[in-house]
Amino acid sequence: MNTSNNVLIIGSGISGMEASLMLSKAGKKVYLVERLPLIGGNTIKSGESYPNMDCSTCLVSPIQQEILQDENIEVLTISTVVGLSGKPGNFQVKIHKKARYIDMVECLGCGMCYPVCPIETDNNWEENLVKMKAVYVPCAGALPNVPVIDKDLCLRLNGGDCNLCVEACMFDAIDFSDKDKTLEVEVGAVIVATGYDTAKNINLSRFGYGKLDNIHTSMEFERLCAPNGPYEGNLVLKNTDKKPSSVVFIHCVGRETSGYCSSVCCMYSFKHAHFVKLKKSDAKVYNLYHDICLPDKSYQKFYLETKKNISNFIFYSNINQIEVKEDNGNLIVQYPDNKGESAIIKADMVVLTVPVVPSNGLVELAEVLDIELDRFGYIATETSQIGSIKTSRHGVFVAGCSEGPKDIQSAVIQAEATVANTISLLNQ
Amino acid sequence: MSEKIGIYVCECGPNIASRVDVDRVVEEIEKLEDFKDKELVVKKHKLLCSVEGKKFLENEINENELTHLICAACSPTDHDSTFIGVCKKTNLNPYMYKIVNIREQCAWIISDKERATDKAIRYIHSGMSRVLYQEPLYEKQLDINPDVLIVGAGIAGIEAALTLAGKDRKVFLIEKTSEIGGKSKKLHELLQRQGVTPANLKRKISKVKSNQNIYSYTDTVLENVIGFLGNFEVTLKNTKSKEQTEILSGAVVLANGYELFDSKSLENFNYSNSDNVFTAEEAEKMFKEDSKLTMRNGKEPSSVALIHCVGRKEVGYCSKICCSYLQKIAHSIYDHSPKTEILDFYKDMCLPNKEDDHFYKTLKRKSIDFIRFEDISLKGNSINYTEKSGLKKTTSVDMVILAPAMIPAQSTNTLKKMLNLELHETGYFQEPHVKINPVATNTDGIFIAGANRSPCGISEAIIQAQAVAGKISTQLIPGEKIIPEVKVSEILEAYCTGCKSCLDVCKYGAIYFDERRAISIVNEAICRGCGNCVGACPSGSIRTKHFTNSQLYQEVKEALRQGEQIND
Repeated sequence: MNTSNNVLIIGSGISGMEASLMLSKAGKKVYLVERLPLIGGNTIKSGESYPNMDCSTCLVSPIQQEILQDENIEVLTISTVVGLSGKPGNFQVKIHKKARYIDMVECLGCGMCYPVCPIETDNNWEENLVKMKAVYVPCAGALPNVPVIDKDLCLRLNGGDCNLCVEACMFDAIDFSDKDKTLEVEVGAVIVATGYDTAKNINLSRFGYGKLDNIHTSMEFERLCAPNGPYEGNLVLKNTDKKPSSVVFIHCVGRETSGYCSSVCCMYSFKHAHFVKLKKSDAKVYNLYHDICLPDKSYQKFYLETKKNISNFIFYSNINQIEVKEDNGNLIVQYPDNKGESAIIKADMVVLTVPVVPSNGLVELAEVLDIELDRFGYIATETSQIGSIKTSRHGVFVAGCSEGPKDIQSAVIQAEATVANTISLLNQ
Repeated sequence: MSEKIGIYVCECGPNIASRVDVDRVVEEIEKLEDFKDKELVVKKHKLLCSVEGKKFLENEINENELTHLICAACSPTDHDSTFIGVCKKTNLNPYMYKIVNIREQCAWIISDKERATDKAIRYIHSGMSRVLYQEPLYEKQLDINPDVLIVGAGIAGIEAALTLAGKDRKVFLIEKTSEIGGKSKKLHELLQRQGVTPANLKRKISKVKSNQNIYSYTDTVLENVIGFLGNFEVTLKNTKSKEQTEILSGAVVLANGYELFDSKSLENFNYSNSDNVFTAEEAEKMFKEDSKLTMRNGKEPSSVALIHCVGRKEVGYCSKICCSYLQKIAHSIYDHSPKTEILDFYKDMCLPNKEDDHFYKTLKRKSIDFIRFEDISLKGNSINYTEKSGLKKTTSVDMVILAPAMIPAQSTNTLKKMLNLELHETGYFQEPHVKINPVATNTDGIFIAGANRSPCGISEAIIQAQAVAGKISTQLIPGEKIIPEVKVSEILEAYCTGCKSCLDVCKYGAIYFDERRAISIVNEAICRGCGNCVGACPSGSIRTKHFTNSQLYQEVKEALRQGEQIND
C-alpha cells in the first residue's frame, strides 16, 4: 500500500532533471535534491556537445528553466540526503539543507555582491582554474541565478564586521540570520542520479601534470573552451595571450587505474580537437590513441570527419611508456609507436583524457540509502536481472553516470527507465 | 466589448530600470497617437515575476477588465510561462497577452539610455499593434486510449510489454515470425556481466504468455496505422491466414530489431558455403545445440580465427557489441577446449561497458592471440592481413568466425513509410533529439526501442524498452485526458487548390488529403504549429493560429516604422 505520491530524486544533472520533469507531468510531486548551489550537473560545463556540435546551453537551459518553474518540483539546492527509513511506497527522508544566506525570492542575481567581497578562494566547480569570492555563483549563467555565501570563509559569519555585500545589494536579499535546516519528507520511491566526477586521485606526474604548464585534464580543457567558462572560451597558453598552435590529446590516461573504458573520451576528444581548430584554424592537433571507441550509429562519421579535416591520429602501443617533458619551452610527448619504437610529438598544450569516476560523496550517500556499490564505486544494480536500474534496496532506482560512465543519451534513457519503474511502484 | 489594453513595464530591479528610462516609456506609450481611441492602462512595476508582482498583475487584469495585456519585461524564455500562468487565473484568455523583451533586446545591449529607451518604446508599440490582432484560443481536452501496440516481440518488445501491461492498460504485442523471443533466444550464453543464462529470457517469455493484459499476435505484421497520440486506429494482418484485425491503441512502440550485414558481399571476403567460415550467430547456434564448434566435416577445429568489424567500413558505423560478444565466443571456445588455437583479429577494441576491460584482461591471460590489423582479407580459411606495425602476414586456420555489422531491419523502411517517420543516414530510426529525446520519434505517440534506433546489446535494449514505458506511462495516464497544441495550422478550404505541397513539408504527418473534395486537411491533434506548411502553400490558404500573417505584419510594421533612425 502506497501512502505517498511523492518521489525523491537525488542529483539535478541531465538524468535527474529528465526524471523530475516526466514525473511531474504524470502528477507526481518531486523533491529534487542537489548538493551544489546550482542545478544542471556536468552537462552545463560544455560549450558544445558531440556529435552535432549543438550548443549545450541552448539544450540544457530550457530544461533547467522548466524545472525551476514547475510547481510540482521542489528544488532543494545545497542540500544532501541524510536519512532514509521506511519501505517502498512509504519512505521517510531526512534532508539537510544548508543556509544560502541569500533570500531566493528577493535576489535578482544582479551580481553586485561578489565583486565587493574581500575573500578569495579556489573555484572547485571551475576545476580550480580561477578564484572566486566567499559570496559567489560558480559560473556565469548558473541557475537558479542566486549567489551563495560560503559559511566557512565569510568574514561576517565568522565573527568579523564586514558588511560589504549587504551594502552592495539593492534588494536587501542578504540574510545572515539564515540557518541550516533539516527537512523531513515522505516519498514513495527514490531515484539516485548523482552523476560523475573526473578522476582526481590518479598519478599524472609522468604526463607532466602539475609540474609543467599547459597540461590539462579534459574537464579543465572543456572549461577553458566553454563560452560560460572562466575565460569565456578564450583558449590561451598560460600567462600569455597566445593561442596554442599545437595540441596533443592523449587517450585512455588512467584507464588502467580505473579498470574500465569511460566510453565518452574518444568522442569528446574529437570535439575538443574541433574546438582547437575553431580557436586557431592553423593549429596542429594530434589524437594520440590506443583504441577508438565509437558506440553509436552517428559517431564513426564524426571520427572520420575529425580525422580528415581536424586532427592527426597517432597510435601508441603502450600507455605506460608515454612521458611528457619540457624542452626549451616546448612540451615533448614521448610515446611508443605502432612498432613499439619511441617517437615524439612537440606541442604547446597537452590534454589528458582522465577517467570518469563516481561522484565524490557517493560512498557516504550509499551508506545513508543503504544501497550497495560495485567494485568501482558505482551504484550496483541487481544482478539477477539483465538491464536493470534497480539498486539493492527495493524502491530505490539509479539513473545516469552514478551507475557507470555513459553519454548523455544513455543517461537520459536510463532516467526515463527509472520513471517507468517508479510509476509502476507507486501505482501498485 | 471595447478594447482595453494593459501595458505593464517591468523594471527588473536595476536590470531594466538602470538602462531604460521606464518613466519615459510609460509616458510615451500613454500618448501614442494611433492608440488614441483605445483605452490604455500603462504602469511600471519593480519586479513583475515576483510573488507580489504576479498578484499585482492578476488584480490589474481583473479590476481593469483588460481585454489585452502586454508585459514589457525579459526574454520569453524566462517568464512567458509565468505571465501565461497569471492570465489563466483570470478571465483574460492567455492568447490575448504578449511579452515584449526590453531587457535582453534593449537594456542589456544598448549602453546609451536614450536609445535603449527609444527602442523599448518601439518594441512595446510593436507588441501592442500585434496583440490587437490576436484572437482568443481555447484548449481542448481529448479522451485517450491507454492501450499500447508493440511491433516486434524480441527482447525490447517483450520488456516494453511486461513493463506497460496492467489492469488499466492492455498491450498488443505483434511478431512477424511464428515465435516470441526474437534474436536473443538464439544466444548461447549471455555475457558474464549480465550474470544470467537464457533461462532469464525464457522466464520473460513465459511471463508474456501468462499475462492476461498482453495480447500476442504471431505471424502478424502491421498493415496500417492512422491517428495520433492517445487515439491510434491500427490494422494488423496475419501473414498466413491473410486475416485482418482492427485494434485501437493510444501509443505505438516499434521494437523491430536489426539484421546482419552480408559478409559475402565483401570483395575481400572470398569464401563459399563449403568453407568453414561462419558468422558469430551461427557459432552461437552451434554452442547452443552442441556446446562446441563443429566443422563441416563433423570434426572440432583445432584453430579458430575471430574477425571483428566485418562490413563496418561499408555501413559507416561501429556496431558496438561485436568486440564483447566475440570475446564471449573466444571464452566459450577456450572453456570447452583450452588447446584450441584462438586468433582474434581486431581493429580497435571497443568495450564501452564498465565490466568489459576486466573480462578482456582475463582473456589476455589465457593463450588467446589478439592481433590488431590495419587490413584483412579472406580466401576460404586462409587469412591475409596487415598488422598495425605495417607487417603483412598470412595464416590459415580450421575455422573462421565473423562479426558482421548490425544493420537496420528491412521492416524499418516499411514502417518508416507507413508511419511517416524519419530515418538517420545509416538507415536506423531517427530520434527527435539524439541526446535529450532518444526513444521517441518525430510523431507523438510513436516510440522506438532496441536495435532499430542504433546497434545495441540486450541490457541496453531492455533499458530502452523501459524508457519507452516511462514515456508512455507519463503521457497516457489511464482515465486522464490530453491537451493537444492550440497554436496549430488551419487550411482555408475555399483557397486550397489541392496541390499537396503542404503534405511534403509536414514533418509530423498532420496533414492528409481529402480526395473527394480535393483539398488538404490538418489534423489538429497531430499538428504542432511549426508553420512549414504555411511557407510551402502557394495559394496562401494556410495560417498558423497565433502566428497569422496579419499578426506578424502588424508587429513587424511597427518595429520597422520609419521615424528617427534606430540602428540597433
